Amino acid sequence: MKSAAPPPVPLIVVDRVNKRFGAHHVLRDVSTAFAAGQVTVILGASGSGKSTLLRIINRLEQQDSGDVVVDGIEIRAGQADTRRLHALRSEIGMVFQQFNLFPHLTVLDNITLAPRRVRGTRREQAQREARELLARVGLTEHAHKHPFALSGGQQQRVAIARALAMQPRVLLFDEPTSALDPEMVKEVLDVMKELARSGMTMIVVTHEIAFAREVGDRILFLEQGQILQDALPEDFFARQQDPRIRAFLGQVAR
Amino acid sequence: MRVWPARWSRQWRSSASMALAAVALILVLWLCALPLSLLPEPIGSNADSFADGVRTTVALTLLAGSAGLIIGIAAAVAKLSRWLPLRWCAALYIWVIRGTPLLIQILFTFFALPVIAPSLQMSDFASASVALAFNVGAYNAEVIRGGLLAVPRGQLEAALSLGLSRLQTFLYVTFPQAFKIALPPLVNNVVALLKDSSLAYSVGVLELTNVGNRIQAATFQPVPILIATAAIYLLLTTVMTQFSDAVERRFDVEGHQA
Repeated sequence: MKSAAPPPVPLIVVDRVNKRFGAHHVLRDVSTAFAAGQVTVILGASGSGKSTLLRIINRLEQQDSGDVVVDGIEIRAGQADTRRLHALRSEIGMVFQQFNLFPHLTVLDNITLAPRRVRGTRREQAQREARELLARVGLTEHAHKHPFALSGGQQQRVAIARALAMQPRVLLFDEPTSALDPEMVKEVLDVMKELARSGMTMIVVTHEIAFAREVGDRILFLEQGQILQDALPEDFFARQQDPRIRAFLGQVAR
Repeated sequence: MRVWPARWSRQWRSSASMALAAVALILVLWLCALPLSLLPEPIGSNADSFADGVRTTVALTLLAGSAGLIIGIAAAVAKLSRWLPLRWCAALYIWVIRGTPLLIQILFTFFALPVIAPSLQMSDFASASVALAFNVGAYNAEVIRGGLLAVPRGQLEAALSLGLSRLQTFLYVTFPQAFKIALPPLVNNVVALLKDSSLAYSVGVLELTNVGNRIQAATFQPVPILIATAAIYLLLTTVMTQFSDAVERRFDVEGHQA
């Protein structure tokens, strides 16, 4: 089986990263790279370290050892340079399983908060850009509502617009559809597909196999904190040799 | 209670209620001598003294209340700080204040502090304000800390992932949500403060209780005087809770109390 071609211009480099939670060794010497414009789907059983890898990339978790370089911004284990950290995070958008919209702000204010406060964008311009993003995720008429008034799928689309408002170099998705009712999964996946087509660099942790097959440029399969397989989707799904991965695919397909 | 036109939005109605309560408070303050002077003896002839006492009580409450809010926020943040000495200082402050009687704190600030440090000699009013502010600040700190802890961790992560600094995250994301959670118990503290301000009487501040007590001692008519004094407190706390209810509705974007 051939593995995915090495990415030409790595936007993100993960080098021998280790992470433990107490006695639990969550990531073991994980090394990989993510290219600009590529959609990587990370699969694996729960507890395999998928979310932790994602959260280490934007430093919501700190690795115990190893380096992560994002777009030339390098942050080593144990380093606490806050200015570089904020620079790093504003380059990386993140979409959470639980949406995490700010409940006390309107949809428009949710989206404009970071551009205004971090980038110093003027209010009118930030709002104009926010409305464009809302149109892109199909929520133009909801700009002045508060998050509680929206369905889960709508909230997640707002969360994607909020992340896009910072014009990040890469978007991380941490199980973006896992907390949604089944009828709302499609509207979120459709937005993500549109993003992928527009050339956005995406790293997606998900259990949506159909999405991985259709949109993914590359599949990373994690097991017990290690990359068990790094493959092209067509190889991964159609010509899977590994019995453990076959068992996993059988489980989630059911 | 339906005072405002139904077509007004809830935000408008609560803003109007806040404005009305504020105006009511000012009217009570400046005009309370008028209705009091219409009451029978011994209240009518002492209406001006009562009005002075009310103004002093409200001034004490507003001054100590706003300073106590700032002290409370600072102490809550300090107690949640990552820096251990700061956590200790906040814990020590809250422990001492909550573990000793307010009356002792007021007496200590007025009589003992100037002995320890002569530069801390203050007027009776200023001294009582300081003691009350630090007292209510300690209770506010615990309430605000509870509010901060009740904000889900995902909110912090979302804000940080957008590149907001810790300070920006606190100002725009965590604190507004924590404040909303902490608002009802904060109001409790301020209502308690209004009543506790009567202890300023012990260092000679001529606030409402002191005024009432003096008149009662001079006229030998405790029943009407003390009833009038209590009624004025009741009026003040009622206006205050009306105001805070309106503030709560203003913050209630989910419409729990439409």
